[in-house]
Amino acid sequence: MSQQQAQPMPTTIEPVDPNREATRPFPVRPAPPAVDLERALAKARTRIPPLWPLKSFVAVNPYLGLSSERFEEASQTLKRVTGANMVMPRDYYRARIAEGRIADEDLQQALTAVQSLVDAPNSLSELKDAIAKEADYAQASFVTVADVVDRTRGTSTGLLVVEEISKWCAAYWDEGQAAWQMPWRQLSPYRAWRAAAAFDRTASVMGIRGFQEAVAALPDDPVSTVKFVIEALGLYSQTLDGYLYRALYDIRGWTAYARYLGWWEELEGQDNDTVVELLAIRLAWDYGLFTVHRDQDLNSAWQSAVMQMREAALAPQADRDLMLDSILQGAFDAACQREFLDKLIVAQPPSKETTTRKAVQAAFCIDVRSEIYRRALESVAPETQTIGFAGFFGIPIEYVPIGKRKGPAHCPVLITPKFVVRETVEEVNKEERTIIFGLRLLRRRAATAWKSFKNSAVSSFVYVETIGLGFAAKLVSDSIGMTRTVTDPNTDGLDHRDLVRIAPDIDPGVLLGRETGFTETMRIDTAEAVLRAMSMTESFARLVLLAGHGSTTVNNPHASGYDCGACGGNPGEANARVTAAILNDPKVRSTLKDRGIEIPEDTWFLGGLHDTTTDEVTIFDRGKIPTSHEEDVRRLQVWLAKAASIARTERSASLNVGSDDVDAAIMQRSRDWSQVRPEWGLARNAAFIAAPRERTRGLNLNGRSFLHDYDWRQDRDWGVLELIMTAPMVVANWINLQYYGSSVDAEAFSSGNKVLHNVVGTLGVLEGNGGDLRVGLPRQAVDDGQKLFHEPLRLNVFLEAPIEQIDAVLVKHANVRELVDNRWLHLFALADEGKTCLAYESVGNWTPVRTSAS
Amino acid sequence: MATWTIYLSGLVPLALIAAGLVPSRSADRQPQAMLRLARAATTIAFGASLAAATLFFIAETASARGLVLAAGGIGLSIYYDALSAVISLLVSFVGMLVISYSRNYLDGDPGHGRFIKWLCLTLAAVFTLTIAGNLLLFTIAWAASSLSLHKLLVFYKDRRAARLAARKKFIASRLGDLCLIATMVLVYLSFGSLDFATVFSAANAMGDAGILPPHTHLIAVFLVLGAMLKSAQFPFHGWLTEVMETPTPVSALLHAGIINAGGFLILRFSDVVSLSVPALEALAVIGGFTALFGSVVMLTQTSIKVRLAWSTISQMGFMMLQCGLGAFSAAALHIVAHSLYKAHAFLSAGSIIDISRASWVARPHGNPHPLRLVLALAGAVGLTWGVSLAFGASLTRAPGVFALGAILVMGVTHLVANAIDERPSAFVILRGVGLAAGVAVLYFALQLGAELIMTGALPEKQALRGPLDLAIVGTVIVLFGAVTVLQNTMPYRMGEPRWQAIYVHLFNGLYVNALTNRFVQRWWPVDSTAATTKGANA
Repeated sequence: MSQQQAQPMPTTIEPVDPNREATRPFPVRPAPPAVDLERALAKARTRIPPLWPLKSFVAVNPYLGLSSERFEEASQTLKRVTGANMVMPRDYYRARIAEGRIADEDLQQALTAVQSLVDAPNSLSELKDAIAKEADYAQASFVTVADVVDRTRGTSTGLLVVEEISKWCAAYWDEGQAAWQMPWRQLSPYRAWRAAAAFDRTASVMGIRGFQEAVAALPDDPVSTVKFVIEALGLYSQTLDGYLYRALYDIRGWTAYARYLGWWEELEGQDNDTVVELLAIRLAWDYGLFTVHRDQDLNSAWQSAVMQMREAALAPQADRDLMLDSILQGAFDAACQREFLDKLIVAQPPSKETTTRKAVQAAFCIDVRSEIYRRALESVAPETQTIGFAGFFGIPIEYVPIGKRKGPAHCPVLITPKFVVRETVEEVNKEERTIIFGLRLLRRRAATAWKSFKNSAVSSFVYVETIGLGFAAKLVSDSIGMTRTVTDPNTDGLDHRDLVRIAPDIDPGVLLGRETGFTETMRIDTAEAVLRAMSMTESFARLVLLAGHGSTTVNNPHASGYDCGACGGNPGEANARVTAAILNDPKVRSTLKDRGIEIPEDTWFLGGLHDTTTDEVTIFDRGKIPTSHEEDVRRLQVWLAKAASIARTERSASLNVGSDDVDAAIMQRSRDWSQVRPEWGLARNAAFIAAPRERTRGLNLNGRSFLHDYDWRQDRDWGVLELIMTAPMVVANWINLQYYGSSVDAEAFSSGNKVLHNVVGTLGVLEGNGGDLRVGLPRQAVDDGQKLFHEPLRLNVFLEAPIEQIDAVLVKHANVRELVDNRWLHLFALADEGKTCLAYESVGNWTPVRTSAS
Repeated sequence: MATWTIYLSGLVPLALIAAGLVPSRSADRQPQAMLRLARAATTIAFGASLAAATLFFIAETASARGLVLAAGGIGLSIYYDALSAVISLLVSFVGMLVISYSRNYLDGDPGHGRFIKWLCLTLAAVFTLTIAGNLLLFTIAWAASSLSLHKLLVFYKDRRAARLAARKKFIASRLGDLCLIATMVLVYLSFGSLDFATVFSAANAMGDAGILPPHTHLIAVFLVLGAMLKSAQFPFHGWLTEVMETPTPVSALLHAGIINAGGFLILRFSDVVSLSVPALEALAVIGGFTALFGSVVMLTQTSIKVRLAWSTISQMGFMMLQCGLGAFSAAALHIVAHSLYKAHAFLSAGSIIDISRASWVARPHGNPHPLRLVLALAGAVGLTWGVSLAFGASLTRAPGVFALGAILVMGVTHLVANAIDERPSAFVILRGVGLAAGVAVLYFALQLGAELIMTGALPEKQALRGPLDLAIVGTVIVLFGAVTVLQNTMPYRMGEPRWQAIYVHLFNGLYVNALTNRFVQRWWPVDSTAATTKGANA
């Protein structure tokens, strides 16, 4: 066992003799053993979830680092270590109870389900009495030296530390804001920070004299520094985990970005030390403060803080009020489940699809926003069947725009792209194409020179005097939405006539040594995998529309957050077009026939894009549609336009569109540079349903459900179920918890108020002057200014599949099982043609919760 | 017609104040009604000031005066000249856009109505400043503009950083107010009146007769100090980079409207200030230093709004330098152009991600051709010279103009030099040179236009006034040139510790702000709630 545990635990703090301290700088106690340190470091690496940059902002589960704990335990841990909340304030739940949204049965259900950490109420009435009292929460037990300094000296050093580290990180990771970049960017973060710290006098200007010297004495590598500081601060082994988490929590934004930078390595199972480097910087600050401010007051305050941390780590006290709030959250979830089950489990399910061939099949992303549009389309054209599937259509591609060498990954962030697809211009010969590509590059370079003229030290004066007056016109045209504030980066540098001819190039090719496009084998394998995953192996309609989705907003740093999450925060256009092109390939079809999937000769696949801000659906590659299908496409477009209008009207109610002309008002919104709520995104998401569309067709699910088409009867080796539970379900869970976290504790897990956003390093936002990089969604994405629009609910997952098979997937995938077992989502199975619903308790243990009366 | 100008411009503050007088609570309760009112008021304001300016320029008078409710040179009187016409039009234009922007931007915010209300009052104060007919009214408007701005700076009162920044601004503003009050006393002692028309004609008459009015230098010093405080000149710039704690439209209005008040002060009193050579020289030195300091620090900043704030500091410095060099009409042009540019830059700050996504061309590797700067310089000098000849503007006519011309050359050089990058391409170079030629033509055309418009309102360009002037002009050219060269060669020298140290110090704005923060926190700590209320009510 470790050395400390043998030591008697001092019960009182000995008075410190300052003279003795001076001769023995770090007397406190021996260093924690290396193995403990390593374990703590490994945990610290994964405590803070990654943060994607704004160019491809995707939802992230803010509690990723806590998922090994049960929901209610994690809530306690988070509060104890960081002071952040994982549930709503008590009043929120009281209001839901008062308005009848949370019923007694929900409270009872939550009370039964909770695994009590501390004396839980024994009955419903006891629970009601307990929550009627004012909540009194315990304070966080873990602190940093900066906190203790502030407590003893009445300063605001904690804020200074965050400010300085944040400033430094911004300069180190700047993606192109500063014209004069930090000189040490080629060094590793900790070394670069030390190099800068040698010159930086901010600390001493702020009255922290001797800081530079103290930091200069630290070891040269991050892990040794962490070790050194832990030893100097006299921390116990057991407190390392909490202390390191607490230290990183202060700078959770930049830590999250550091984790993102190592994400791809992490996915491949490699270690990435960027987070540890940042941790070393944070600890160096604590060390510097400790050294500089060390006097008797600080010493004793710190010693008692260390003891407090040790106590909290050895014998954590569960906070009863916090546990009550967790129960209330469980009751709110239960209320939502009840509402869903009322809709889903009905006596007479709609009759099974008739066998007549559908005129159109239209596949949309599982995104909750698709549900509104699909319902509208089905109401306009009953001869249409809509399908829900992940918006990257199962093809993970890196999409390289014209003129570029690399491109963004168009696939969920849990996987890496498998194919490289180039954007190209069609209907031109090779020379013309080369000219177009080259011209874009040259225009960019000329634009770079102009930008430098605008932004440089001396030339900016000349720029302002010559060009400034012109902004009068620009201000007016931008204000009325006639122009875009800046050119659209996707089309910048291309001629208008070429824009309509842009398409993904699926033919095999080579780009700077990398293979692009799809060979015949790749096409066939991909096509088969996609169709099977979509449960689409028979009854193809004449037209099959594959619609990805994207958004249209201007002047919005979080624009990509409204795009397709399954395409890595990019519009899904490319994936849809690639998939359609592959499925239209006659060679692919003939081979698929041999593999048991027969696509009729008169079936044509269309690639499209659903604009979630305006609900317009665009169909691409019109020129390639066979003349025989032109009439069908024309008819489809009429339906799409009608559906768009219906969907807009439905959404307008919650968007506070006062106008009589809803269509125009929604369009205007997408072009308004002052609009902070262009659309509601995935707010109010609450359920994930993987089942045949018949279970949900005709139901108004209010745009709150991820809908994934899945027919277990077609799932030959349960591979599709496994895929659904490990990919789309987890992604939906991430999205759900992202919205949840941004709602329950805006300070900790949202990026704050959009009107104060200040984009830093062209990668993230600060709120106001400075502070840490902000994570999560803007407040405006979850509330309407006065109250929450999103309802913080854990995701309710309904899978229509045999429970044995669901169990099998859980057993096979520990990380998914962890999410389910620890109640980061609620899992249900639909059985008996959707007439019965079973709730997951644990593997092999399912309880029927609802059966239709019949 | 001049009378109509007076009536119309007098109507503007009335309309804005009428909207601003709605009690905060009512405004917050019915934000949509408040918005309708404010939009009507700002539309009327813009319409009226456009009409007033048009009538004024048609009438071709040098200045118009209107004495409404005024006696003994003080009261609600209006002094309207070409400068008032241009700047008041600018203020009402920006005001209208900012209100319109705030409609959707703050939608749903519990303080939406109150926010609009204070925007209206701030606009009213700034507008009044531009047309005030006497120094007392001017001073009141001057103080009112910062007091109502303060309400906007602490719009989110719970934000500690907002209060700290507002506090710094508050201190700077009150010092500025003192400068104006001192000016008022001295002007009254010297000229026996606070009425602008009276004071300016007396100053002009004395100037023409070669007599220096009493206290001229002292008045000028207070004016310069007041302008420095209002326009965030070194070392009083700290607050400007920290007022991002308030919604973006406030930043737009601040950077496009309020910050100009310092420059406007100098221009308004240019008849007096131009009599004091030391004051002008001080202005040139401070402005020139702030311009360079601000623009170099700007290069190191990593967030869009802070970068824009440093840019404003440097642009204001440049405008002060122009005043100091006696190029008053150029300074007026600079105010207008910068305001429009900066208003757009702030309101469109969210587009930086689009800009960055479009800026994907990495600089080609390798070192640039050693001759590139020389080539670029030769091209730029030729270009500028040619265009200046075409416009009949001799660069040697006045030292100020010469210095500014030199800076134009440097700017154009930079543009051309960047077009000649590591992998020269005819397309890029031609496009760069084409743009550079366009810039040079525009530059002279606009300068000429500004001079024409401002004839009568602002003093003529100044001739060389002594050896110190010459030294200043020389230093300006050398330093601006040095910075241009520095910026083009910087990326290749960052290995040297000396440059690394300079980088870190500049990145921190030479720690001036840290020092100010420490000072303010020590003497007026933000954490106590009592202090908050005091700050908010002051």
